[in-house]
Amino acid sequence: MQFNTGQRELTLKIVYYGPGLSGKTTNLRALYQRVQPHLRGHLMTLDTADDRTLFFDTLPLVFRAGNLKVKLKLFTVPGQVMHNSTRRIVLQGADAIAFIADSQPSKRQENYKYWLNMVENLKANGLSIETLPNVVQWNKKDLGDATTVDAIAKMRLEGKQPVYEAMAVRGEGVVETFLGLVDLTFGQIDKHYLLSDKLGLDRRQFVEEVRRCLVDLPTDDVAGTN
Amino acid sequence: MAESILQKQLVLGELLDLPSFTNVCKTFVDLYKIGLKVFDQQGTKVVDMKVASGDFCAYMFEGPNGRRLCTETVTHIKVRPLDNLPREDGNIAVRNCFSGLRYLMIPILYEGDLLGRIIFGPFLPDEIGDLGDDLKALEGEFDLRKAKELIDRIRRAPETTVRRIMEHFARIVDVLVFTSHRAMISSQLHIESVTESYREVHEKNKKLTDAMERLQELSRLKSNFLATVSHELRTPLTSVIGYSEMLLAGLAGDLNDEQKDYLKTILEKGESLLRLISSILDLSRIEARGVQLVRKLVSLDDVVQSALESVLPQSLKKNLTLTSNLSPAVQTVTVDGDKLRQCVVNLLSNSVKFTPAGGVIRVDVGPADHAPEAAGPFGSSGYFQIAVTDNGIGIAEDLQPKVFETFFQADSSASREYGGAGLGLSIVKSYVEAHGGEVTVKSEAGKGSTFTLVLPIEPAGTGIALV
Ligand SMILES: Nc1nc2c(ncn2[C@@H]2O[C@H](COP(=O)(O)OP(=O)(O)OP(=O)(O)O)[C@@H](O)[C@H]2O)c(=O)[nH]1
Ligand SMILES: [Mg+2]
Repeated sequence: MQFNTGQRELTLKIVYYGPGLSGKTTNLRALYQRVQPHLRGHLMTLDTADDRTLFFDTLPLVFRAGNLKVKLKLFTVPGQVMHNSTRRIVLQGADAIAFIADSQPSKRQENYKYWLNMVENLKANGLSIETLPNVVQWNKKDLGDATTVDAIAKMRLEGKQPVYEAMAVRGEGVVETFLGLVDLTFGQIDKHYLLSDKLGLDRRQFVEEVRRCLVDLPTDDVAGTN
Repeated sequence: MAESILQKQLVLGELLDLPSFTNVCKTFVDLYKIGLKVFDQQGTKVVDMKVASGDFCAYMFEGPNGRRLCTETVTHIKVRPLDNLPREDGNIAVRNCFSGLRYLMIPILYEGDLLGRIIFGPFLPDEIGDLGDDLKALEGEFDLRKAKELIDRIRRAPETTVRRIMEHFARIVDVLVFTSHRAMISSQLHIESVTESYREVHEKNKKLTDAMERLQELSRLKSNFLATVSHELRTPLTSVIGYSEMLLAGLAGDLNDEQKDYLKTILEKGESLLRLISSILDLSRIEARGVQLVRKLVSLDDVVQSALESVLPQSLKKNLTLTSNLSPAVQTVTVDGDKLRQCVVNLLSNSVKFTPAGGVIRVDVGPADHAPEAAGPFGSSGYFQIAVTDNGIGIAEDLQPKVFETFFQADSSASREYGGAGLGLSIVKSYVEAHGGEVTVKSEAGKGSTFTLVLPIEPAGTGIALV
């Protein structure tokens, strides 16, 4: 996190982590569609011919909240096994994590392995999942089954972090995940830097400002058309 | 880990390929006949192209007031703070020169950072089309007719047109910056990734070498000691057992029934002493070296069946029913098969020991209900469990946490009645924990017990940790 008191500028790095093909890039694309054009930067994707992320994707978002200038820098990591060192580099200086899990029953162990892999890569960067704001998104909910429902219920019960379900290809659950994480992250920073006191900007207002950066879906949204 | 390019502040001049950027600007200037300057955030000039304004400005510079006002304008357009928060109108700012000319400025914003500014002008706004009042006031210092003649060579245009041209140009710059940044990051990150992979392999290698050297040293010391002790204890005991067996077999002449009974007791106790020594040696070995795992892909069915077989004779003697139930969801796991088998055997032997004749012992194998805390929120997907349940004498609640302690016996009378020294469970605990797993007990006195082993299906990090 960078907080420049003089310039009243806050920069946050949010990383989308998770197994290969779980839908990290799709989340970022869906979010890009929803951000007001003048507030978003370029969606930069660095991928291979078959659409697998090679280095990362990134989407910057710049807006004003109260009299604070806020820069949110969203990144995705490459999920393929062989790109571990790139995953570690992208995690550098992360302020928050959205873990994108795959709902397919056959991917259950992958989710587990990538979580541990993330914990390790965070450690290598001097970070810890115990203190980093994080949320879990179970993406591809259209491909889950009864055991997925059980696993999600169990995770909610454990209550370690907010849990969302999503179908990122259709934009469902993407904004909720993002705003949920923003909420958590601001709460955490506020605790350390007392932004509410210094800036007169509380958690709810902050999330509202972020929400205002997003455009509403057209009324005949994708889900409604066939 | 070295700081990545992703963390670095961007500088316009480093991002753009200057010769080709200058070309783009030149094309633009030729097409629209309007002056164009680009500065980076430090105020360094990146591009400066004049169109037809040179003579006029040089003339203005001849008079002292002209020079002063001119310098003011030039400084202003270069340093005046620009709004660095993106607005829908593109953040264009305006500056009128005293001469009646006009400049437009627009910030170069990239990912919310101010990288520099673009300046368009000077141009003569259509809506004014004449010398500025401040200049007219300087009649005497300047020949206004000559000034008018020179200013008319400069491009005349409505401000809205210039704004449109400028917005268009700003978009081109944005795309150029973006593509350059993208190219720069790709090549740089490639280098960083390779460097980081190399560093990781190197570090792991060193750790492995160090660990191996330490282990070799330790193991040399301890093995010697253990081998000696083991030999010193077992040799005399083997003789005790061997000679008792020979006596029993009548090799030294006939024995009466009472003598035979005594000998049987000596034999039995000798054998149980031998087992105890083996257990103690197992434990000391664990303490000396830690548990050395030999992990392989094993079938859970094989492990469980072979464990059941080994307790079959004792359970038949007590008329116990043994059943097993394996979930198809986990069939093979990567563990030390021998140690896992020994864990299950130890749990089963306990159950056999503490379950009265006619009782039932069940082994359930399947995905874990829950995993150790460190396994994270997806933990149970990476773990399996083996639960051994009996309907024996059970363990009182307050004693349950202690059952895994070395030499602990829930009840010393129980140990007299049922035999054993309370080593089995502490061995189980060591083996399971060496795998990164957990063993837990649930029990009710008089009703029975369930011991559950929870272990990772594969060692943590398999497959994705390295490079
Ligand atoms: N059925 C279904 N498919 C999805 C969903 N979200 C994403 N996908 C598909 O999953 C595939 C992989 O998505 P990506 O977003 O590229 O995955 P990724 O996590 O970025 O993958 P890597 O970059 O290789 O790590 C694409 O074909 C998506 O269309 C979903 O909600 N349901
Ligand atoms: Mg991707």
